[in-house]
Amino acid sequence: MSEQVRIIEKKKVPSGATLLFGFPDVGLVGVIAASHLIEELGLTEVAYMDSELLPPLIVLHEGLPHSSIRIFADHNILLAVSEMPIPTDVIYPIMNALIEWGKSKNAKMMISLSGIPIQDRQDVKELKAFAAASSPEALKLAQDKGIEVLTEGYMVGPQAVVLQRAADSGPPALTLLSQCFFNYPDPEAAAEVLKGLGKITGLKVDVAKLLEKGEEIRVRARDVMKRTQQEMSKMKKGQEYDTPMYVS
Amino acid sequence: MSSRKKRSISDIIDAYFEDLERWAEQFEETLMERPSWNLKNCTIEPLREIMVTPTEVVVTVDLPYTEKNTVEVKPVSRTSLEISAKMKRKIRLDDLGVTHCKGEFQKFHCHMRIPVPVNMDKMDIHYKRGILEVHIPRKR
Repeated sequence: MSEQVRIIEKKKVPSGATLLFGFPDVGLVGVIAASHLIEELGLTEVAYMDSELLPPLIVLHEGLPHSSIRIFADHNILLAVSEMPIPTDVIYPIMNALIEWGKSKNAKMMISLSGIPIQDRQDVKELKAFAAASSPEALKLAQDKGIEVLTEGYMVGPQAVVLQRAADSGPPALTLLSQCFFNYPDPEAAAEVLKGLGKITGLKVDVAKLLEKGEEIRVRARDVMKRTQQEMSKMKKGQEYDTPMYVS
Repeated sequence: MSSRKKRSISDIIDAYFEDLERWAEQFEETLMERPSWNLKNCTIEPLREIMVTPTEVVVTVDLPYTEKNTVEVKPVSRTSLEISAKMKRKIRLDDLGVTHCKGEFQKFHCHMRIPVPVNMDKMDIHYKRGILEVHIPRKR
């Protein structure tokens, strides 16, 4: 792990768990899904990230400071979540550190929860989830559970780094993406991605509360979405709309 | 051969002030951080975006907690729109996790500058599941 990025463990971290990532991105799908998982499964904070590469920002909860990137867990899940978008220029070192830390904990698989933006999202009632993977075996796992494969296209952001690194040196990784709004918080898409996660891992996550609180989440998440929009613009996230030109 | 339309003095002055206003807004957005809520007016700013296509400008605004019949879209000049919508219930600052000051909101409100000349009188408004969509044909 890079010395510029430290992961500090507060409690015993389970070995051999599935490592999930939920970061601010299109529609805030990952972070909304992560927040719901923490609440529904009663995950507890086991570790946090300390890095001078990150902006000088702490998150205050009940008057006490917390890192913006924290890791929650139960006995078979590790969930890395960030309340603020990761600055574009430090995505590589931050994600590399998390992946290396996951390997040191014998993570059996890494799954990023995210979205894939579509135009006219407000006209789509039945959202679809897609998967991309670091290996044919991991991809087959998603396909066998009835999740459609994102066969061609571009992926931009932390989940791209996870797939690329996992393809090089494991553990296997999947990215689950639900169709979503680009610039607006999308709790329905977060629910869809959690259903996909349930199919793959067998986790039972009730999304009824998430859907019920959808409008409230959209009001509360405006400012994080706005900051995330600025970061997505820097990382050229709009490239995910582009038609691919795969050079074989 | 291209034909250039002669502009009146008032058009030139209008254009100058519009440019100045646009520049001031851009300056404010890039350099000055401000909250997304206004305690004095009891309003919060919605998320919004503008897309310019060859034929029209499409404005979308995220208006959760609102109903269609409370949404108002008003052109306030040839190049800007004022959008507001009443929320179904009051939101207090502490509902949003802000505890260092008090206040409550029951309305979304924002101004949007349209970056190209448009026919404001021909705008078409749709509202679906809390998303407002305004289509404004471009002037040719």
